[in-house]
Amino acid sequence: MTEEKKPEERKKRRTATEAASKIGPMVKATIGGTVQAREEGKPIAYSFICCCYDEIIRAMDIIPVWTENYAGVCGAKRDAQRFLERAESENFSRSLCTYALCGLGFDAWREELGEMPPEAPWGGQARPDMMLGSGQILCDPRNKWYQAAQHYMPDVPVYDVGLPWPAYEHDYDYRQVQDYYVKYIVEQLRGLVEFLEKQIGRKMDWDRLSELVELADRTWNLIYEAYELRRAVPTPMGTGDAMNTMVPMVFMMGTQEGYDFYKDLYDELKRKIANKEGVIADEKYRLIWGGGLPSWFALADFNYFNSKGAVFPVETTYRMVEAIYNFDIDLSKVTDPLEHIAWRWVKYWTYWYDKARKRPGSHPDVERLIQYIEDYKIDGIVMHEAFSCRSWHVGLIWQLNLLKKVYKDMPSLILESDIVDISSYNEADTRARIDAFIDTLEAVKSKQR
Amino acid sequence: MTAEDATGKGLSLVEKYYQDYGSRAGELKGEGKQIMGYLCAFVPLEMLTAAGFIPFRIIGDVNEPITKADAEMETIVCPLVRSCFDMWLKGRYKFLDGIVIPHACDSICRTYQIWQYTLNLPYSHFINMPHTTDDSSLKFYKAELETFRKSLGEFVGREISDQSLKEATQLYNQNRAKVRELYNLRKSSPPLISGVELAKTLIAAVSLPVDEATALIGDVIDEVKQRQPLSAPKSARLMVFGAQIDNVAFIELVEESGAWVVADDLCPGARESLTDVTPTADPIDGIAERYLRKIYCGRTYRERKGSYEDYMEERFGHLAAAIKDFKVDGVVLYIYKYCDPFGFEVPEIKSYIESKGVPVLYVEDEYSMSTIGRLRTRVQAFLEMLGSK
Repeated sequence: MTEEKKPEERKKRRTATEAASKIGPMVKATIGGTVQAREEGKPIAYSFICCCYDEIIRAMDIIPVWTENYAGVCGAKRDAQRFLERAESENFSRSLCTYALCGLGFDAWREELGEMPPEAPWGGQARPDMMLGSGQILCDPRNKWYQAAQHYMPDVPVYDVGLPWPAYEHDYDYRQVQDYYVKYIVEQLRGLVEFLEKQIGRKMDWDRLSELVELADRTWNLIYEAYELRRAVPTPMGTGDAMNTMVPMVFMMGTQEGYDFYKDLYDELKRKIANKEGVIADEKYRLIWGGGLPSWFALADFNYFNSKGAVFPVETTYRMVEAIYNFDIDLSKVTDPLEHIAWRWVKYWTYWYDKARKRPGSHPDVERLIQYIEDYKIDGIVMHEAFSCRSWHVGLIWQLNLLKKVYKDMPSLILESDIVDISSYNEADTRARIDAFIDTLEAVKSKQR
Repeated sequence: MTAEDATGKGLSLVEKYYQDYGSRAGELKGEGKQIMGYLCAFVPLEMLTAAGFIPFRIIGDVNEPITKADAEMETIVCPLVRSCFDMWLKGRYKFLDGIVIPHACDSICRTYQIWQYTLNLPYSHFINMPHTTDDSSLKFYKAELETFRKSLGEFVGREISDQSLKEATQLYNQNRAKVRELYNLRKSSPPLISGVELAKTLIAAVSLPVDEATALIGDVIDEVKQRQPLSAPKSARLMVFGAQIDNVAFIELVEESGAWVVADDLCPGARESLTDVTPTADPIDGIAERYLRKIYCGRTYRERKGSYEDYMEERFGHLAAAIKDFKVDGVVLYIYKYCDPFGFEVPEIKSYIESKGVPVLYVEDEYSMSTIGRLRTRVQAFLEMLGSK
């Protein structure tokens, strides 16, 4: 690579918690571990986050390569453009999911070379033995990405797991349909297990799976409890750090390492609260990151908010757990591990439905915002619209409009950029918009005084 | 007096319904009929008809800049879906009693609540169609269809009987048989019907009650068979592949550039209009089988059973068959920006069709007349390349 083509070096972002600062090395070690696992002949699976199969692959000693994570790493290191351009040269539109484009560009390049592309970030993305997609009611790339990747790796099989959840409807309650949803998901997961057994030539250890499911339940509860500590004033941890601490939640679920990470985080947050140690000493504005994945190449914008006296005690993004004990079902009594996973999935996605029914005209997505706004004493809302992702970035405007209608008008800001494609980002413009938003917050605060 | 008496029949009536899309539905609403709006090819129209509704396909308007929709819907949504929503906000579809939205793609299903809440319609329903097609997915989909059936039944105040579903199935199969007959008129050289005429006919048809649509297509077939053959000299016979193409702007551009559009894989079009529901003892069985397994759309994930080459045949073999049947010289992949289901398939489809010795032009568009000039240049260059082969 020529000197001028090298990605722009970034200074390490300052984190508020020790836990968040550990994440970079953890991810680097994990990615390096997958490359080594490949060399050692261990079974490797391309995997997506939030697909219900975390404990299943862990129980079978299959090494996950989290492809969204690798694209995010390339983005954070500002070294994704060459992979995006490679995908574009393969006739993939630049308007598609840039996680997928980065991954497909990388795969096309690696397969052509027969080795990792030059100076691949953190050693590169290991070639998989299998790819595990999913069909949900969000994220088309989850069933298109790996299918498209077979164009470059026709020998690598794909299994696509159907993982629907009931929509929030006015014409029926989700409990009327939940049983057949769970039954379907169990059948899909059973099919996945059979597929994996065939691929690796080993049978599932069902007792081990049950243990990992139970460990994941405990981890869910622990994450919920740790994150709830962030209600404190001053808040001990912001969304900038949460974009790091999400890593064990979505990439290490069902592992002791993941559980231990949150135990440490919980203890650290308790300690900080006892010492009244906040993200910043003088909180002026408490904000919610109310939707959208972050621009991985611009996480320092959270520090910029901090420099203006703004903190983010809470976010909806990557808060992919609820307390198991708050569900309306006693999951400890669901002993079949696949059925257990299926119920947890359905109950997670329908968690806010009942609450929404109680407020005329409301919706679960908005109800969740309202709950967080009240619990975390929020002054304003920030969202991010990433142009390449329709899964998480459609409905943000509508949510803000509905929030105003059923609850109250609040200062809000929708930033516009992308998750990986840095060409969509302008730091000066972004910060000018943040400045203007801070002015609005200040004006509202002044009126309240 | 019927609308037909007042405005003629066949292609002239098609022109009226195409130009004034929804006019017939508006009339029927005035007569007390209930009209149910829907998006995409994945809403089982048999169910709506059996419940007593007139299904009405919501379309956009490529000539109308999207303005009002932007206040509720992000600009990263598929421009077609944004245009459909914009048209509704601008009052074009005031006659609709509700909306049914299927789990088609992210742009459709992630905007469901925006339609549901912003339009505040008496009825809305989301059909959670699985992506996968294996037996457990089919079973789940049947359960979803039963939920839909119950929901519609409660809305209209009566059960939707098996008999009414079977009758509706027969009506739609008759309609599809007529569409197949219409498509056969494209096989001759020159074709008996132009791509623009055929597209207008199918677009007009999805705004009508199924029996009227079938009659209209039948009239078009009779008219076309009786008239003088199309005589304009054209250099090539093309297939157009894409998502929902609900206007003829692009097809017109291709035909003005000197080619016939003789085949397609579009909605409305071959993708959604040619395959029957197999009549079954439980009518839901046949309906579920058709909508989940027989519509070859990128949103549906088909499990691979054999080699990668077999998989390509399974997914795109119908395109190769149409290329052969309709003697296609070249294929245009006309893909909307922000379209994940088709966007991810472009390299595979292009490579598959080219492996059959048929050239492919891939163009990305934004559902706007403003891009027509640029597209014309691409199409003309493609036709020149075909001509020099």
